[in-house]
Amino acid sequence: MSVTSSAVKGDGNRCSRSCYNCPSCTSPLQITHVSHRDEGLLKPNDAAGDDETYVLQCQFCDWSSLEIDVRFSKPTKITEQLAKQQKTRTSSTHSTTASNQKPLDHDEKFTNLVSFYKDQLNDSGDPQNPYSNSPHNSPANLARIMSLYGGLSYNALKKTREKPQPMREALGTPEGFVSFHADRSDSELIRRSQASGWDGTITSEQQDSAPSNYDSRFNGELWPSATQLRTKRAKRCKTCRHIIARPEPNVGNMRYKIRLLAMNYIPRLMLKSLHSATPLANPAFLLKPGMPQADDLQPHKAQQYILTVKNALFETVKISLATPATTPGKVASRVTILCPSFTVGPAGEVWDEALSASNEPNSDGDRKAAMASLTGSSESSERQPEAGKIWEKTRNSTSIIVEIVPGALQPPPSIVPKTEQQLTDEELGEDDDVLEVPVYVRAEWEAEIKPGETVQAKKDANAMPGEKVSKEIGYWVVLAAGRIAG
Amino acid sequence: MSRPAGSTARRSVKTEYIETDTGNKISRRAFIEGKQNIMLGGKTVIMAGVHLRGDLCRKPERVAEGEKEKPNTTAVSIGRATVVSTNTVIRPPMRLHKGQMTFIPMRIGDNVFIGPNAHISSASISSHVYIGENAVLSPLCIVKEGSKILPNTVVPPGMTVPAGTVVGGRPARILGEVGDGWGQGGGVEVEDWVEGGDLRPLVRSIK
Ligand SMILES: [Zn+2]
Ligand SMILES: [Zn+2]
Repeated sequence: MSVTSSAVKGDGNRCSRSCYNCPSCTSPLQITHVSHRDEGLLKPNDAAGDDETYVLQCQFCDWSSLEIDVRFSKPTKITEQLAKQQKTRTSSTHSTTASNQKPLDHDEKFTNLVSFYKDQLNDSGDPQNPYSNSPHNSPANLARIMSLYGGLSYNALKKTREKPQPMREALGTPEGFVSFHADRSDSELIRRSQASGWDGTITSEQQDSAPSNYDSRFNGELWPSATQLRTKRAKRCKTCRHIIARPEPNVGNMRYKIRLLAMNYIPRLMLKSLHSATPLANPAFLLKPGMPQADDLQPHKAQQYILTVKNALFETVKISLATPATTPGKVASRVTILCPSFTVGPAGEVWDEALSASNEPNSDGDRKAAMASLTGSSESSERQPEAGKIWEKTRNSTSIIVEIVPGALQPPPSIVPKTEQQLTDEELGEDDDVLEVPVYVRAEWEAEIKPGETVQAKKDANAMPGEKVSKEIGYWVVLAAGRIAG
Repeated sequence: MSRPAGSTARRSVKTEYIETDTGNKISRRAFIEGKQNIMLGGKTVIMAGVHLRGDLCRKPERVAEGEKEKPNTTAVSIGRATVVSTNTVIRPPMRLHKGQMTFIPMRIGDNVFIGPNAHISSASISSHVYIGENAVLSPLCIVKEGSKILPNTVVPPGMTVPAGTVVGGRPARILGEVGDGWGQGGGVEVEDWVEGGDLRPLVRSIK
């Protein structure tokens, strides 16, 4: 559930109303109306009686609060009712195990500890003797500093005039102190888990679903977990602390007050096969199962790709590309960028782009390729990629050729029998057959300093507005070419 | 559809899609029940094999003697430039209301992409949502704006998928956020189409 961040700061990060999630499968729980008589029977209850009760029920996995024997008398204030039942449950456990009086509830222990230390801080405020012999005098010091800045409260003044007590640690259960007991419950737990087996126990994820489940171990001990709340966050630049994204505060809409996206500032790379005439379907929008996707890549068969770099900046950018000769990972494919450094023209306004597109119809590679496939005259197939040559250039994009030789999924057979370790190393995991090429992109350009802009680089510190400074960025991108055929 | 789809088809050549006045494209191979209870916002695509159950609508309230019967109620309303891919089932959910099971009208926003073989029974789906193939959206779940449902996800009954989150799994859990650039892209070329973005170019490409 989404809320504002101030609400979370005030009320905590879980819903305090009636929203609960299934402790077994995380689905939202629904408040369902049952009546005692029909309990267990799948019969619609139309007769309204005094014995009506409500339960929390999961409509995904059929968990219900009946598993922990929890029923509600009304469908509202679930949190309140649940807390009450939990409390009576723990206190009844106390009375049965009277010999061992430790509170089972983490929250209770914590509350006891907090109130104890708060009292301690109040009692031990001793500004005359900050270097007391107690080794744990830092809380007292803190209180002293607080009093220096905030002035002593009346209460604290009174305390200091009385007898100052040295700070001490929690001692007993009422003060929140619990020592570790290796008691019988451990062997009891072991016996129970032996009896119930794997299916009877719960997962650590289920234990972590809510603080009330931290100590649960078996099915039927899980309490519903209050729904966690979400807020929106702003993001800042790591280096200069500028806000780069700030969503609008109202919950439920996706609009932004500030949103500086990298794609509007850094050159963009696109990879497509040189030989497929028609553009392939965008894999994000497969409209029917079994739509033509990129063919699987044949191992050891060199493939040529057009790599297009598109400029988003209003200055001409000099690009240098670098890639490892073979791709990292279990399947090593060879990669060659035929023309690793080139320039890309500046981006313009949208109507600029439209104009230039109509003026230079030849620059449209897709159309040319489509024409070639239609007419059969293969102008593009005659043209051979050359090392060091740019393949295609438009006003704000430059295309070059990348040659990739996919590696083989199966390692070459060896005469020497392989060790077990070698064999497990060679085993391919999920998506190990995806051919991805890491590319380091370096872009350099000359930019005019805008008035009021601060210059980061030291050598340009004296630059005046209107002067040109050289700027550069470098970043890694990953280009995905497809899957290698097995 | 505000009007029966068939009336606007004038071409003699049988095409896959029937285009309405507002630019909706409806496949001839779609299964549409209760046309009068379905609203399409325009430039929306209903592909082959889609089951659209407009017949599952709230029964009109009993009209008093002499009063004119109320115009039909809406069962499914879909916004603009939304794509419903092949073999998806759209079925309005039911809820117990005053001791009777009634159908809840389903609302789907603009620029929503629903992948193939999905089963949709949500109460509402907001705009710029991407739903992967084979996803199951159980009855009365609510999908908020700009969220992404991964393929093969089962969104449990009554779950609210918060705005801008990525959910996946059976049952669906929140796995992450879509990122601040969700839906932002040129949208001009095929490679430039982005999930959660403007789907008009995609709609244009469907013929
Ligand atoms: Zn459940
Ligand atoms: Zn910065």
